[in-house]
Amino acid sequence: MSDKYKDERHSRRHRPVVENERRFQESRSHGRTEQDETREFSFLRHKHSLNKIFFRSQDFIRRGSPEYDDFWLFVEKYETFQQKAKTKPQASSSCHLGDSSLGIPLQYDKTNRINISVQNKDVEDFLRKGRLADAEIAPELTVDRVKEFRNIFLYYLDFQQKQKFNKLKKVKSDQENLPIYQYKSEIVDMIRDNQVVVIAGDTGCGKSTQVPQYLLQAGFKKIACTQPRRIACVSLSKRVGYETLNEYGTDVAFQVRFEKTKTQNTKILFLTEGLLLRQMTSDSLLSMYDVIVIDEVHERHIHTDFLLGVLQCLIHHRSDVKVILMSATINIHLFSDYFHDAPVLKVPGRLYPIEMEFCPIIKDRDEKHGKLDPSPYLRIMQRIEKKYPKSERGDLLIFLSGLSEIMCIVNAAKMYAQETKSWIILPLHSALSVEEQEKVFDIAPPGVRKCIVSTNIAETSVTIDGVRFIVDSGKVKEMSFDSKYKMQRLEEFWISRASAEQRKGRAGRTGPGVCYRLYHEREYEAFQDYTTPEIKRVPLDSLVLQMISMGLPDPRKFPFIEAPSIESLENSVLYLKDQGALYPDESLTPIGLMLSKLPVDVVIGKMLIMSSIFHMIDPVLSIAAAMSVQSPFTSKINTDVDSMAARKSLESDNGDPFTLLNAFDEWIQVKADGMHTRKWCKRRGLEEQRFYEMTKLKKQFKDLLRDHGLLDKVEDQPQYLSSAERRQKHGERKRLGELKREKRKESKRRKVLKLDDEDYQISDGEDDDNNDEGSNDIKDLEFRLSHDLKQLQETSNQSRHFTLHDVNLLKIILSSGLYPQVSIADDCNTFKSTSEQAFHTKNKPFVLLHPTSVFSYKPELLHPKHDLEQGKHDPTDLKGHLSNKHELLTFVSILETNKPYLINTMRVPALQTVTLFSNYIDTNSTCTRMICDSWLEIVIPDEEEAQTIMSSIIQLRATWQNLLKLRLEDTFLAMESERKISPRARRLERTLASKLSEFLSSDVRYKLRRVLPAEMKNVYLGPDRLSEINTFSLKSTSVKESKPHPIKGGVQFNEYLTHGCLFDDGTASAVGDFTVNMQRHWTCPQCDVSMIVNLSERLEHEVMCQTNNITVTPAQLKAEEEEDKASQMNPLRKSYFCPDCDQQLHLTMTEILKHKKLHTSGPSN
Amino acid sequence: MMTEAVKEFLCYRCNLKIKYDYYGKKPPFAKSIAIGEECYVIKDPFTSDVGIINLGSHCSVCQRSVCASGDCSIFYCKRFCLQCVQENIEEFPIEIRQEIKDKSLRQTNR
Ligand SMILES: [Zn+2]
Ligand SMILES: [Zn+2]
Repeated sequence: MSDKYKDERHSRRHRPVVENERRFQESRSHGRTEQDETREFSFLRHKHSLNKIFFRSQDFIRRGSPEYDDFWLFVEKYETFQQKAKTKPQASSSCHLGDSSLGIPLQYDKTNRINISVQNKDVEDFLRKGRLADAEIAPELTVDRVKEFRNIFLYYLDFQQKQKFNKLKKVKSDQENLPIYQYKSEIVDMIRDNQVVVIAGDTGCGKSTQVPQYLLQAGFKKIACTQPRRIACVSLSKRVGYETLNEYGTDVAFQVRFEKTKTQNTKILFLTEGLLLRQMTSDSLLSMYDVIVIDEVHERHIHTDFLLGVLQCLIHHRSDVKVILMSATINIHLFSDYFHDAPVLKVPGRLYPIEMEFCPIIKDRDEKHGKLDPSPYLRIMQRIEKKYPKSERGDLLIFLSGLSEIMCIVNAAKMYAQETKSWIILPLHSALSVEEQEKVFDIAPPGVRKCIVSTNIAETSVTIDGVRFIVDSGKVKEMSFDSKYKMQRLEEFWISRASAEQRKGRAGRTGPGVCYRLYHEREYEAFQDYTTPEIKRVPLDSLVLQMISMGLPDPRKFPFIEAPSIESLENSVLYLKDQGALYPDESLTPIGLMLSKLPVDVVIGKMLIMSSIFHMIDPVLSIAAAMSVQSPFTSKINTDVDSMAARKSLESDNGDPFTLLNAFDEWIQVKADGMHTRKWCKRRGLEEQRFYEMTKLKKQFKDLLRDHGLLDKVEDQPQYLSSAERRQKHGERKRLGELKREKRKESKRRKVLKLDDEDYQISDGEDDDNNDEGSNDIKDLEFRLSHDLKQLQETSNQSRHFTLHDVNLLKIILSSGLYPQVSIADDCNTFKSTSEQAFHTKNKPFVLLHPTSVFSYKPELLHPKHDLEQGKHDPTDLKGHLSNKHELLTFVSILETNKPYLINTMRVPALQTVTLFSNYIDTNSTCTRMICDSWLEIVIPDEEEAQTIMSSIIQLRATWQNLLKLRLEDTFLAMESERKISPRARRLERTLASKLSEFLSSDVRYKLRRVLPAEMKNVYLGPDRLSEINTFSLKSTSVKESKPHPIKGGVQFNEYLTHGCLFDDGTASAVGDFTVNMQRHWTCPQCDVSMIVNLSERLEHEVMCQTNNITVTPAQLKAEEEEDKASQMNPLRKSYFCPDCDQQLHLTMTEILKHKKLHTSGPSN
Repeated sequence: MMTEAVKEFLCYRCNLKIKYDYYGKKPPFAKSIAIGEECYVIKDPFTSDVGIINLGSHCSVCQRSVCASGDCSIFYCKRFCLQCVQENIEEFPIEIRQEIKDKSLRQTNR
C-alpha cells in the first residue's frame, strides 16, 4: 500500500468537511489570497508526512512517546495562537535595524531566543531538495512550511527545556524549604567530629530524605540507611533518587528481604534493619559501609534494639565508621547515653499550634460494663459542628484501641451523620483491605467533614493530610507475648505519654488544630513515659538464633539498650533446643544453621526445609505463605450467610491450613479459567489482596529455597505461546499500561467522597456487579502477565488430587515445624456445646477453638473415633478409648483476647506425630507404655505391636536425622555450584518415604491421654531400681552411648529415648517382666546380623545401627551410582508413591500415568 | 575527609548548585542535539529516555556562570545575565526591553 493511498484513506473519514471546504475553495478559486490558504492549512492534517520528515532519524523525541504526544498538543496550541495573532495587525518591522554594540541584531527575531537544535538528516534533505528519497510527502508541505514546522519543533524543545529546568529548580527549592536545611552544615560538622550522632526531629522536618543526601554531599560513598518497614525503604529510595536527580540511576537504591535495586554504583542504600543484621553474619564489621544511619530508632522495633546493641560493639572495632541515629523527639537521652553521651541535634518539626482540652468521660451509673459508650464521641462531633463554620475545612481523627471499639463508634457516628449530613464516617485499621484503607485519603465534598475512626495505625504509619481535630481515647490494644505458654495476648492499655503527644501532633500538620483527650489530666500524668519496646513483648526465638549464628555465644550477656526479661530469653533458648536448632551446649545444629540463614521464623523455616527433603514443595509453600499473611477469610461478624455458604466447598475437614490451601488453589483455578477472581472473592467474603500477597510470598520462599540449594535448579522452560495467546498477552499488556496511566492521573487528583443516604460510596469508584470486566483490574492483569497461569494451575491441580498418603505426609511436614504446638481434646468435649470445646496444650489447659476455625462449626470432627472393633470394650479400659485413630490438634499460635484461642488448627494422627517429633520418649520395660515430652501418654496393650512401633520410631528418626544431615551438607557444599542431591541422600529419601508411609498407615490400637504435671512425679522408677531391671543390658552397653538415666531410671539410648524408666500402667500382662528379659533370636534388618538378645539389647542395637545407616556397603554404593546415572539420563523422572503397590517408584509423568492405569484397568489378580 | 573535584555548576545570582555531566555544545549522551552556546548540561534525570537539561552557561558580557532560569538570565543569540541586561538595556531590541520591564514589575509585585 503506497503512503499516498494511506493518506487518502485517512482523510476519507473527514470527507464531508473536506468536501465542503473543497467546494468552498472552488467557488472562489480565483480570488484566493495568501491568508486564506494559511488559515485552512494545518500541520495537524499532515501528521503522516511530517512523521516521515521529522521523526525517523533522530532519537530525541521518539514517535509514540509521551513527549511526542505532548509535542502535537503544542503544535495544536501554536496554530490556534497563530490564528488569533493573525487577526491583530502585525507590527511591521521591515526596515533593518542593524546590530547593537553587544553584537546582537536589534531587529527582534524570536528564533534567536532558542539555543537548542536537533540534527535531523531527513529535514535537511527535504529542505535542500523539496522531497524525500524514500517517502512521499503531501504536496501541501512546501519547503517554507517545513521550515516553519522546524521552528515549531525548536520552540517546543525550548519550551520543554524551560519546563524541565523549572522542575529541577523546584526540587532544589523544596529541599531548601525543609526545616532541617537550616542545620545542614551543623549536621555535617557534627558527623565529621563525632563517631555517633543523634538527630532528633519530628515528622515533617525532612530528616529521613535529607540526611542521607547531606552525607553524600559531604563525601561519604557507602551510606546505609535502615528503616523498620520495607515499604519505607522502597519509597525513600525513590524519593531520594528523585531529589538527587538519580531517579533512573542506581546511586540511590533499596534492598529489602527479597528485592533489591542495589548495584556496584550504589552510594545510598535504604534497607531494612533485619537485612543489615543479616549482612553482619557474612561481614561482621559491615565493612561495606562507611556510615550507618538508623532511622526511626524511637519506634524501638525488636531489630532496632538488636541493631543498636550490635553497633555499640561495632564502633569499638571500627573507628572509621560513622553511626547516625535518627529519632522523633522522644526519649532522646536514652540513645545518647547508650552511645556514651553522643551529641544530639534537635530539629524542630513543622507543626502548627494545637489547642488541647482534657474531656474525661464521666462514667454513667447504668453504663454496661465493658461496652464502649459512643456518646462522648458524638458530643465532640456536635461541638465541632457548632463551633466551626462549615466553610472552614478540617477533618476529624478519632483514636480508639481496637476493632470492636471502632465498629461501635462507626455505627453510632453513621446514625448521627445521617441526621446532620455533615460527616462522612470512615474506619481505618489494618484488617481493612487496601482499597478501603485508601478511602481515608479521599476528599469530602464541600461542607462535609471526614471523621476517621482509627487504631494507632494513624499515629505513625499512616499520615493523613487535612486533619484538624483529634479525639484521643487514650487507649491502645497491644499484643503481648507470654513466653511461658508461647501465647500471644491482646490487651487494652493506657497509651504512653509519648504516644499521646504523637496523636495530638497529628492535628497540626497542615494548620492549627484542636485535640480532645477523653481522659483526665491526672490520668495523663500517670501514663508511662514511653511505649514498651517490642523486644519486651514478642518471642525472642529468631533473635536468639540470629545472635548465636552471628557468633554472640551467650544472648544473656548481650548489651541490650533495654534488656528483655531473662525468663523470655531462657524460654527462647529452650524452645530452640526443643526445635532441634541448638545443641544442649547452645551451639547451632545444622538445621539451626540453615534456619538462621532463612529470614523467616523457625516454624516456617522448618516446614520449608522439610518440604524440600520430602519433595512436597508446592503445597507446603502455599500453606507456609498463608500462615505468614493475614487470613483471607474475613471474620464471621462481617460476613453474610450467603458468603458463609459459598465458602463451604473450600473448607477442609483436615483443618485450617488445608482450608487455606484449598482457597488459594481454587483462586488460581478461577483465574486460570479466565474468570474474575475479584468477584469470586467478594461472593465468598474473601480478601483478595491476601492471595496476591501469598503468591508473592510463595515466590519469595521458593527463591529462598533455591538460593540455599534446597530446590532443584530447574531451568525455566521456554514458554511457547500460540499466536492467539501472544495477541492476548499483548492486549493485556497494553490494557495494563492504559489502566496504570489512568490510575496515575486519578491518584493525582484525589477522589471526592459522596454523601449518600444509605451508605458512603466513592463517587467514581467501580461497582463490581456492574463493572465486572476483569480487564479493569490492574492487579489481575499484572498477575496474569507476570505468572505462568497454566503452570500454576497444574501445580494447584496436583495438590487438589491428594491421596490419603499425601495428606498424611503433608501433615507430618507441617507438624515438623509446628511441634510442640500440639493440643489434646478434653475428655468431656463430646458432651459440650460447640463454643465450649476445650483443648489442652502441655503448659496451658483449657484453650478454645477460635471461631474462624473449621472445627468451631464442625466440632464432631475432633471427637474420638471408634474403630471398627467398637463395642469390644476392655473392662480395664478406664483411661481412654482404645483406637487406631486418635488425633491431636496442632496450632500456629495461641491468642488470648477475652479467652485463650487456638489459631490455625489442623488435626494430625496422634501416635505418629508425637513419637516422631517429641524431644523425649520414656517407656516402660515392655514398651507398651510411653510418655512423650512429659505430658502425652500412649499405651499400646499388645506387646509385640508396641515393640514393632518402637523399632519403627527408632529407624524413622535415625533415617530422618541422617537424611537431614546429608541434605544440609549437600546444600552447604552446593550453595554456589550446581545443586545436586547425593545418591546416598536419595537412597535415604526412599527408605524414609516408604517407612514413613508404612508408619502413617499403621493401624495399631492404642490409648492416648494427657498426664498432668502432678502425676509426672510418680511415673518414673528412678535410679534406685536401675540395677534390678537392667542388669542384663548393662553388661553389654559399656562402650556405647547408652547410659543409665540418673533421674528417671532405665537406660537412655540416645538424646530422646529412655527405655525401661516408667512403671507399668497396671494393664500390662503379668508376664511382661518375664518376657522383657527373655532372650530371642533376632536378625537386624539394617546390618543383617543375627544375634540372641533381649528387648533392651535389641533396641539398643537398633539405635546404634540405624544411626549409622548413613554409611553404605560398597555393593550398595555401586547400585546407587548405577541408578544415579540412569536417573540423570532421564531427569524428568521423579519419585512417586503408588498407594496401590505401596511402593516408592521413580517414574516420569507418562510412566506414572501408565502405572496408574495398570491399577485401574481391571482387577489385577 | 573524602573530597574530590566535583564538577559543579553554580549560578552566581540564585546560588543554584548542581553537579553537571558535560560542558560544551554537543553533549555526548544526546547525539542529535546541538546547543547554540557553550553550556552546562546534565542528562535529563526525569526520564529514562534520551534527554538533556541545559543548566546555564557563562554570561557573554561578565563571564560569570548563570543559570538558564528567566530570573537569572536570558538567551538572545548569546547568554546575558539579567544584571548585564539591565546595565546594557539600550542595546537590546524593544521586545526584550519590554519583557525585562514586565519581569521586574512582576517581581516587585510579588
Ligand atoms: Zn540562577
Ligand atoms: Zn553578566
